[in-house]
Amino acid sequence: MSKSIHLCTVVAFLAYWLSSAAQAADPLLKLPNFDGLTEKAEKAVTITLDPVLLRLAARFLDPTDPEDAAVKEVMQGIGGIYVRSFTFAEDFAYPVADVEAVRKQLGVPGWHRLVEVRSRKEQTKVDIYMLVEKEQAKALALIASEPREFTIVNIVGSVDLDKLHRLEGQFGIPKLEIENKK
Amino acid sequence: MTEEFERGLRGALRPVDPPSGFADRVLERLDRQSVVPVEPRVWRPRVRALQRHWYSGVALAASVVLAVVAVNQLQDERSEREGLEARRQLIEALRVTSEKLDLAYEAVNRPPSTDDAGV
Repeated sequence: MSKSIHLCTVVAFLAYWLSSAAQAADPLLKLPNFDGLTEKAEKAVTITLDPVLLRLAARFLDPTDPEDAAVKEVMQGIGGIYVRSFTFAEDFAYPVADVEAVRKQLGVPGWHRLVEVRSRKEQTKVDIYMLVEKEQAKALALIASEPREFTIVNIVGSVDLDKLHRLEGQFGIPKLEIENKK
Repeated sequence: MTEEFERGLRGALRPVDPPSGFADRVLERLDRQSVVPVEPRVWRPRVRALQRHWYSGVALAASVVLAVVAVNQLQDERSEREGLEARRQLIEALRVTSEKLDLAYEAVNRPPSTDDAGV
């Protein structure tokens, strides 16, 4: 009897360990294939910058140019940037369930929500999450959905919002003061 | 018998002048036959073959060098195109990210209304 209880305890512990390991937050989100939306969308932005492409892009940034130098500084510690952004002429012409499925991936431990915006009037949802491990930022996720557009951004690596802030006004990037509002 | 033989021999060996025009005919025949100088034929084909191979070798080497240069040039151009495209995508990605961060910032800063579910 005591042996079976002991066995049950071990099995339960293993099951808990396996489930928690399976739920460990992955900095790289599994993005659905939105290729079919490209033709339907008025504007489509699909960017996949893996570490190799990021290194290649960095080679073409001029360190003597202040703007390029700032971008290069933001890139320090970043291992990948993945952007999916689509704008449509009609309301909800995109698969909302696919976007929600990406939101669901951010529910596992490790991901911390920095900003959540819900507007019933404009039917807008904006979520900004950061993956923190051992007090270090490992990834950033941003999901913004509106009736006629949605954007998913996944930045893998240590994202420094201060450095991102320094890009304000450059390359058409607007000014940010998010840290003041946290 | 012996004297008769000697007389016959002397008669046969007596100096005789050539018929008239003999020298002219000999010279004329010599002119007709073109005399080709004989050269050593053993080495000539080998030298020609070596010369031909030398030219071929140089042409082949030049072709290889040109091909390598052309391939390098194409690779450099492709790499530059890909690098510039990656740079463009990087800046576009940062632009989109900042734009959406700004949207969140605006929403956070906006005075709360009854329509907003919360921040």
